Amino acid sequence: MTEEEWTPKIVAFCCNWCSYGGADTAGMGRFQQPASTRVIRVMCSGRIDPLHVFNAFLEGADAVLVTGCHIGDCHYVNGNEKTQVKYEFLEEMLLQLGLEPDRLHLNWISASEGERFANFINDVTAKVKELGPSPLKPAGVR
Amino acid sequence: MVEVGDMLVGYATDENIRSRGASGGLVTAVLAAALEKGLVENVVVMKHINEFEAVPIITDDVEEVLASTGSLHSVPVNLAKYAMGRKVAMPAKPCDAQAVIEQGKRGMIDLDNTYVVGLNCGGSMHPVTTKKMLIEMYDIDPEDVVGEDIEKGKLIFKTKNGEEKAIAIDELEEAGFGRRESCRFCTLKIPVNADLACGNWGVIGDLAGSATFCQVMNEKGAKLLGNAIDAGRIEVQPASDKAIAIRAKVNSVMEDLGNTLEKEIFPDIPDEERMQYYMEQMEDCIDCGACKEVCPVCACGDDAKCTMFHSLVDNYKMSMYHMVRLLHLSDSCIGCGQCSDVCPSDIPITLLQSRFAIPSQRRRDYKPGMNLDTPPFFEVMLK
Amino acid sequence: MKEMIYQTVCPGCNIGCGLYVRENEEGTLAVDFMKSSSANLGKLCRFGMKLPYHYSKATSMVDGKEADIETAVKAASDKLKGAKNMAMLAVGATTNEEHLAFTKIADALGIVVNTGIGAYEEIPSECHSSISQGIPLDDIEKASRIALFIDPYVQYPLLVRRLLAAKKNGATIVSLACQDLNLADENVSVNPADYKTELGLDDNSMIITDVHPHTDPEQVKNLLNLALMTGAKIMFMKPFVDSTGVHLFGKTAGQMGLQEIMDGINDGSIKTLVTLNSDLLELMPNTDEAAKTLEKLDNLIVMTSRDSPVNEMANIVIATEPLYAKAGSFMNVEGQVLNNSGESTVGIDAMSTLSQNLGGEASDFQTIHNKMMESVLQKYTAPKYSELECKVMETAAPSEDGGNLVSVYNPFMWCDQTDDNDFVIVNMTMVDKLGLRKGGMISLTSDAGSVNMRYTVRDIPDGLILTMKKLPVITGNTTEVKAEAV
Repeated sequence: MTEEEWTPKIVAFCCNWCSYGGADTAGMGRFQQPASTRVIRVMCSGRIDPLHVFNAFLEGADAVLVTGCHIGDCHYVNGNEKTQVKYEFLEEMLLQLGLEPDRLHLNWISASEGERFANFINDVTAKVKELGPSPLKPAGVR
Repeated sequence: MVEVGDMLVGYATDENIRSRGASGGLVTAVLAAALEKGLVENVVVMKHINEFEAVPIITDDVEEVLASTGSLHSVPVNLAKYAMGRKVAMPAKPCDAQAVIEQGKRGMIDLDNTYVVGLNCGGSMHPVTTKKMLIEMYDIDPEDVVGEDIEKGKLIFKTKNGEEKAIAIDELEEAGFGRRESCRFCTLKIPVNADLACGNWGVIGDLAGSATFCQVMNEKGAKLLGNAIDAGRIEVQPASDKAIAIRAKVNSVMEDLGNTLEKEIFPDIPDEERMQYYMEQMEDCIDCGACKEVCPVCACGDDAKCTMFHSLVDNYKMSMYHMVRLLHLSDSCIGCGQCSDVCPSDIPITLLQSRFAIPSQRRRDYKPGMNLDTPPFFEVMLK
Repeated sequence: MKEMIYQTVCPGCNIGCGLYVRENEEGTLAVDFMKSSSANLGKLCRFGMKLPYHYSKATSMVDGKEADIETAVKAASDKLKGAKNMAMLAVGATTNEEHLAFTKIADALGIVVNTGIGAYEEIPSECHSSISQGIPLDDIEKASRIALFIDPYVQYPLLVRRLLAAKKNGATIVSLACQDLNLADENVSVNPADYKTELGLDDNSMIITDVHPHTDPEQVKNLLNLALMTGAKIMFMKPFVDSTGVHLFGKTAGQMGLQEIMDGINDGSIKTLVTLNSDLLELMPNTDEAAKTLEKLDNLIVMTSRDSPVNEMANIVIATEPLYAKAGSFMNVEGQVLNNSGESTVGIDAMSTLSQNLGGEASDFQTIHNKMMESVLQKYTAPKYSELECKVMETAAPSEDGGNLVSVYNPFMWCDQTDDNDFVIVNMTMVDKLGLRKGGMISLTSDAGSVNMRYTVRDIPDGLILTMKKLPVITGNTTEVKAEAV
């Protein structure tokens, strides 16, 4: 693989009810987006433990996206509010660690927002492409 | 009658305890009385091994309480973990008291049944460093030391033949000795988070050196002190305004020093260099797990995320164990320095942890281990 | 019962890390840090942190049935009276005092106590004091250049901070360990013949290596020569808590190594074996093979403070108190005598009875201890030896379809204790060559059998596979294996 061809590997955690639907809609609507995104479906964004995000980075992700239903729309009453609390700490921690802010994002996307999902992925991909591979990427992983 | 908010000066009535215990033996007498009168079932005390070594014991024997050591600056252990699951009274440095409250928040210590006698603390030292310092800086044989004190920014050692030698802490710390690194940037010197806040700051006049200043911080403190008075173990008198002012003055000097040193100890690292910095610091980790084991605010037990999802077979650039801990402790780290103390690779873990915890806690205007008003942030209850 | 607190020393290696063992009302153990201990400032490695798992209480047995210790001692006396073809083994995994009491039994029987390090027999006796003399760990921090022939991270973790301190003081570290070390300034691979010219050592330097039951004597000779020629200090790390003590107080002449003992059992020249805190099933590289050998014995008499696999096989087990509870002392690699706070003398008393039953001297703790302390006070004789003749050391080139499986001896391996070490280390070349996949396994096959292992990738020389755990395919320090992806 040459330097020009490098596309960042992005891990997107999506909740079953909203953002996963959003990813689906993006595909159905044939919005252009890079194929290098790995979507991991969880029942609720509240399930996403900071540990999962660490693991994604340590295994070689160049960016990690945490997505879920809009605040107030959680199918489990307040799961995404819990996500928000955890995310604030996680974000502060990774910034302090020296990870570039563009590598970690939180976004609320509903099932109907396919275009929003595609645009979001495109934006992140473009930004991370400029940053280059993650400093946490292990040797031997492309 | 003792009331919350009282500022008192007191000492043990027993002449023996008074002369042997540090600063009038008030703390020892209060602990002994709590045990005698059945206020608690056990007392956590430091059992004297030698001038540089003591080991925490949990005892129901009044004699052992009376035989325990006074304040030893060179035995830096955190006592919170020894209080778990018991009805105890314990002496506590400010960081011990912080840890007790953090454990209380996590349901590991029953705070209603734990009595914390706080002790002023200007900082503690490593025993082996102290011995080296005595030889190199003080020209004293460590075996001859019988007592120590911190006064007016100076560290004083007393020897068998009654001599005293004082050297400024600044000077010692510049030479690579003196207090542990975590104590240098600590700003909690009077244990206002304990039930009683005791110490020799503000003990003046005739009583200097043979009494203890004691502030009653809460109902439990009032009960504890009242109990000791009822038992005839101690005598107290109100502290003079001058005494109160002197105590506050000493405290503010120490606080200012802590704040100044914090800036020195944590120089800014540019964004793009931080990742490299942390990686280099942790490169020599041998995965012993001692930093978690000794952590006085960790309440996870054996089945902890940091250890369960960490494996030596992983070939990661940064250990999962450390990443989880850096995050997990950012709301609860009290900067006590225990983890740095026990690290076999001499990684300054407390400093690394503090780089994450201090900004995180300041942003939320939160200091862990001060009271029960704020739950741990990760467990924030949603409406 | 109240909580008991013992001051003791970690049995993981010979560094002599001080620690507290706390035994609560229910008998549950926990370790606590003894920050005033000068060898380690209370710090402990991975093994030290797991000591509660290591200290397991043994039970006295006679012919497979539980017995009290008196009965076991009596039975042992009966077996040993008039027995022929006997051998005794104590590697130094208990106190000085117990070792000396054990030696008295040997005196009564007219034999020697083997400490299991065969290399001693191959090395001229005038060099022995260079190997067993204590060197303060502080000296490491003062050296200007350090040559490492061990992996401190895995083998002797408490050396790591000493080496880092040395670096802070301006030392350079050159490593010849089997894998690249983060703390080393140079990681090199040098032929023993070129040590002198390539390593840049002088009389401010220090060589750190180790000597253990499976050490190649040629390597020891090479390094002694290197020390002699360059004037560098040489420090021999050792694997058992009292390794230095047993060599100082024991007889080093006429020693058998572990392998020789096993050979002796196999050829029938040893029929009765008496061991003290030394489990050959754990100590030999291949457990199954060792078990087969030990089965050939007429009598296996085991004295131990730990519940270990060999107890199952033994005719007689004389179970003594756990190591932390013993009255006694250990001598660490610095030559310091470190005392236990425990006061129990069950082990020594049992050995005393046994010795008396066999017509030998009685042992009493205080007498042994005092005598030992007197002999410690005698100054070491300054090590003097002349250049030693060495064979050219050969490292077998790994075959095309495999590699050399090398054991990195560490505390967990010496007592075959479970740890998170269930994997082997390979390098990227091997991953590519074998087509290993992430999360997959590597299959290793030798004459002794086959095993599938997880693996991790590090910078190590080509053709090498490292293990920190005893594997059923291992036959020696280096085992030629066939490797495949699974």
